[in-house]
Amino acid sequence: MKVELKQADSYDDEGAVIKAVSVTDDIRNAIDILKNNGFSIPAILDNTTVMIKAGSIYYIESVDKRTYVYTKDGCFETKYRLYELEDILGINFFRCSKAMIVNIRKIRAVKAEMNARLNAELLNGERLIISRGYVKELKRKLGV
Amino acid sequence: MNKAKMIFNQTLMISTGILFGVGVQTMLQYFSYGKSSFQWQWYIPLSIILAGFLCALATLFLTDDDVSGKSVGYIRTGLHFVAVLAIVSLCGYLFEWYTSLDEYIPIVIMYVVIYAFVWISTTWIMKSDEKKINKAIDDIRDEE
Repeated sequence: MKVELKQADSYDDEGAVIKAVSVTDDIRNAIDILKNNGFSIPAILDNTTVMIKAGSIYYIESVDKRTYVYTKDGCFETKYRLYELEDILGINFFRCSKAMIVNIRKIRAVKAEMNARLNAELLNGERLIISRGYVKELKRKLGV
Repeated sequence: MNKAKMIFNQTLMISTGILFGVGVQTMLQYFSYGKSSFQWQWYIPLSIILAGFLCALATLFLTDDDVSGKSVGYIRTGLHFVAVLAIVSLCGYLFEWYTSLDEYIPIVIMYVVIYAFVWISTTWIMKSDEKKINKAIDDIRDEE
């Protein structure tokens, strides 16, 4: 497929047009990636609601029935439950343990650990555990 | 993977491992003493499945992957090794897989060999997965 990139004058002008004979899985994945990185979720910081772009999220954690969204710069609370975000956020995100969803695009590298689990280092230097039961899903998402 | 499925898979794997051990032992007996046949009581296959199930339970409880820390991992692996050996020894005693120390020692040796083989092969598979996952992540990782 031919790919053409044009310079936009502002963020408001950013957009993508896909011309295709039929919507294949690859094209659906591309649409998901384009849409989800632009998709925002409302979250709260210091009693102020802010919109966080999915593409800027590193990981999301559920602690004591509260859900926290972590970005490069901070931690925000959101009213969404983890399973709702798992559905909303799409293909770049995956459940890495019972209480956590991680953005695959923010993982710098993984390291195999004991008990068939993985230790993931994120781009901000934080480390997360990918539980044994979720490694298969990560491999499926990455096509490994 | 849900816990019931994990126990089922583990039961099958461990039972197969024990049967493999029996096969190797029979072969060694043939080459050592020329004994070309092997007989067992009707309940022995059932006792092997029961032992597999009990070992699977120990595996489930002692290798819970939501714990962190390398030292905790090593301690749990050690506990798992001892617990599974205890289960195999107890089942062997109750179902008369062995009747004397001379018969028990080959079972322990076989157990250590199979445990080491499974541990090494799991580590090898995980290292291989680590490489594949890191390569796939390299292609989609965000710039920071």
